[in-house]
Amino acid sequence: MQTEEQKSKTAPGREPQTKYLREQQKKQRQQQRFIKKETQTAARYLGRLEQLSGAPAAMQPFVEVLRRIYVEMQGVETDRPTIGTYCVMVPQELIYAAGAQPVKLCSGNYTAFSIGDDLTPRDACPLVKAVAGFQHTGLMPVYRDCSMMVVPITCDCKKKIAGMLRDSVELITLHVPASREDADMEAYLRQLYELMERLEAATGSPISSGSLAEGFQMVGRAQAEFSEFIRLRKSSPALLRGTHSMAMMNASAYMSADRWADAMHGVNLELKERIRTGEKISSRSLPRILLTGSPIVFPNIKIPLLIEEMGGLVSADETCMGERGMWDPAVITDHSFNGMLRALANRALRPCPCPTFADNTQRIYRLKQMIRDNEIQGVIYHVLRGCLVYDFEYRQIEEELGKLEIPVIRLESDYNEEDVEQLRIRIEAFIELIKLRQEPVRRTGIRESF
Amino acid sequence: MLNTKQIRMASGPVRPAAAYTEEFMETLHRIRQDHPQLSSLGYFLDTAEQWFGWASEARPEVVVLGPDLPEELILAAGAVPYWLLGGSLFSTSWSDDLVPRDTDPVSRSILGYIHRPGGPDFSESLFLIPLSCDSMRKIAYQLKQEGKKLFLVDIPPEQNRRESILQWQKQMFRMMEAVADHTNTRVTRRRLIDARLTVSRARKLLSVFLDLARGREDLLTFAARQLVRTSYYYTEDPEEWSDHLEILCQELKSHTARLYPRFRRPGILLAGSPVLFPNYKIPFLLQEIGLDIRECVDPAALKQYGTNTGRILQGGRDRMIRAIAAERYRYNASSSFVSNDAMYRYIIGSLMHGDIEGVVYHVLKGQIEYDFELERLESLFSDYGIPVFRLETDYQYQDVEQLRIRMEAFAEMLEQNRYQEVKQAQ
Repeated sequence: MQTEEQKSKTAPGREPQTKYLREQQKKQRQQQRFIKKETQTAARYLGRLEQLSGAPAAMQPFVEVLRRIYVEMQGVETDRPTIGTYCVMVPQELIYAAGAQPVKLCSGNYTAFSIGDDLTPRDACPLVKAVAGFQHTGLMPVYRDCSMMVVPITCDCKKKIAGMLRDSVELITLHVPASREDADMEAYLRQLYELMERLEAATGSPISSGSLAEGFQMVGRAQAEFSEFIRLRKSSPALLRGTHSMAMMNASAYMSADRWADAMHGVNLELKERIRTGEKISSRSLPRILLTGSPIVFPNIKIPLLIEEMGGLVSADETCMGERGMWDPAVITDHSFNGMLRALANRALRPCPCPTFADNTQRIYRLKQMIRDNEIQGVIYHVLRGCLVYDFEYRQIEEELGKLEIPVIRLESDYNEEDVEQLRIRIEAFIELIKLRQEPVRRTGIRESF
Repeated sequence: MLNTKQIRMASGPVRPAAAYTEEFMETLHRIRQDHPQLSSLGYFLDTAEQWFGWASEARPEVVVLGPDLPEELILAAGAVPYWLLGGSLFSTSWSDDLVPRDTDPVSRSILGYIHRPGGPDFSESLFLIPLSCDSMRKIAYQLKQEGKKLFLVDIPPEQNRRESILQWQKQMFRMMEAVADHTNTRVTRRRLIDARLTVSRARKLLSVFLDLARGREDLLTFAARQLVRTSYYYTEDPEEWSDHLEILCQELKSHTARLYPRFRRPGILLAGSPVLFPNYKIPFLLQEIGLDIRECVDPAALKQYGTNTGRILQGGRDRMIRAIAAERYRYNASSSFVSNDAMYRYIIGSLMHGDIEGVVYHVLKGQIEYDFELERLESLFSDYGIPVFRLETDYQYQDVEQLRIRMEAFAEMLEQNRYQEVKQAQ
């Protein structure tokens, strides 16, 4: 027996309408599920971040930004138009000069990843899958609000995702050359001029020498604070944990440079106060670890969290969503407009240790420098599944670090929590290995006489 | 049968050098066996055999990785390019320790070939490396660390931008200079014209040959067609190669005039990752199943249309270089681009023939760019009502039987489609 409701649903003529309604309801349910899962994951990781001991009170603004974006699912707090970027090679100064705010859209979201998994090839890297997932759902305000997106072509996946995104958003690609010779630099400079025109069209604000200089000032101030932060982070015994530091760096993706600089200034003051009072994050000497490789993007911070929950310390990181993101300031030698743009092109290509470059020997120099400056005892090399360029460089880095007798471990992971226990065991063993190599700590003085 | 033997080779502990030789010899043997009536095919088989078999005697002057560069510019600069295209399962064993697990087999094979014990002497070679994918960038880094002399060519990813063509042209000038320095040759207008004429002739003949062979699987299998096409990259004398292709075309013409095609098997288009000699497991499999590959669209598919000599060879030397470079860039159907429009347009052109009943989209594991392109192509094929079969594999032979079962089901579906069309027509 059919009920009246069922009869009306199957009545001729009403079928397309009910089918449409059913599809709408289904879509709505899917969206609700997505929002629930996405916010739950982000909230869980924020919770773990806050539970981790030693967090400076001044890092709260960064946590709030991450909460706003991922848990409350709100847009970036700004009255400017936003420009989405996918790599550190996009000069933020230029975006500020156009009266807009840059937003880094590289994503570490597990829920978006699972949606993107159906839209992209199986072997695509999880970061790109998460981006595709967010773009497809259209539920994340940070993606939805972008007036334009800038995608530097740094790897095969970015190249192809640019082609996919182009169908739905205003987008410009930047061809990142494989070498850093003068001709490559000139070609990149021409692209920056093209980017400039597109930014002007997207925002309606012309870029002048004055506005570009202001952009330099904004970013420069953030870099100065960051530089001070890095100096303090090197302290031994450590003043703060690497996971907290990485979260602060991740938050910079959704904050304007001046706001971020203000917040970072607060953190620096607190760290200086810790030096003065002798406060440190642990009374024991924690194994100092350098984290390098594929980007660690919130909420996928499981690896630094595991390292520090297992008793290690992420003393430094060489990742593009971490320290590398702000490391190199643009050096202006010629104050003309062209000179300033040239400084941006130079900064993007010359010092960058991104594996997109065919010859990336300077990444090895950079790692060695970081190992020396931060008294590193072990290196964790993170490879996101499908991130071939980083995987290629592992062999040589392992060889070079072997010469310095620095233990190194390669951790391959994906955007899910299925591998957490396996990762935990490997990280724990690695930390134990470093501890065994440490000099035993004398808890009592040497008895000189009986 | 080739496959069972190769399965044995792949699964058991074998000496890579012996297995490597056996692999290409088996492929050549099978093609030879399948075409007893075509005597002029022998030259192409011998060319491939010579390249693979006598490699230890080679001392290549200029080595080119992949088919993306315009060879006329290299020829004009005084060198016959020594192409490394990949394609051998067993050469990958010589690069296993140098590359990550997920590297695509083509790159592995190329790098392995360079490191082949007793292989060619590359110590004095200049390597021209078009950076078509991530693996190529990193292979370049590896070779640089080994002290090899390199010239890297960036492929600008936006094919339709004017700036990209200009950038590509500038690189081609620099590449020619590097080759000319290496060979101590002066690039003159005359040399350039000669080189272009040689290459154009070869390409024109190749087009004629492929047109003659289209739909005549009974006379010339797809594997043989592919071998003839690829042997161009193994010859040291393109003029001689063209002469032989002309003879083969004449022989083929006489056969096509005498012999009517047998029962027409379902015609398919093979697209995606390149099918490279000697790893012909896919062509052999399709042949055994009874599918007729009408068209193969791979990165080098459009190269054969770069035959213009009138417009290209006008003006001074530099103008000609620019024209050749621009043509090669536009006719590049590789997946190095944000959107592979050249391949897309070429496929649309192929569908216009009206003899394509299905598409086999070949994806080599690790060649993720091709996989990305499938989505766009799938919607194109669905507009034409043509079913698509995505075939993912690598150079191993273990998956042949699994692929066979899937392919057979696809072939049956294509047959069914034919009957349905007949029924509908009745």
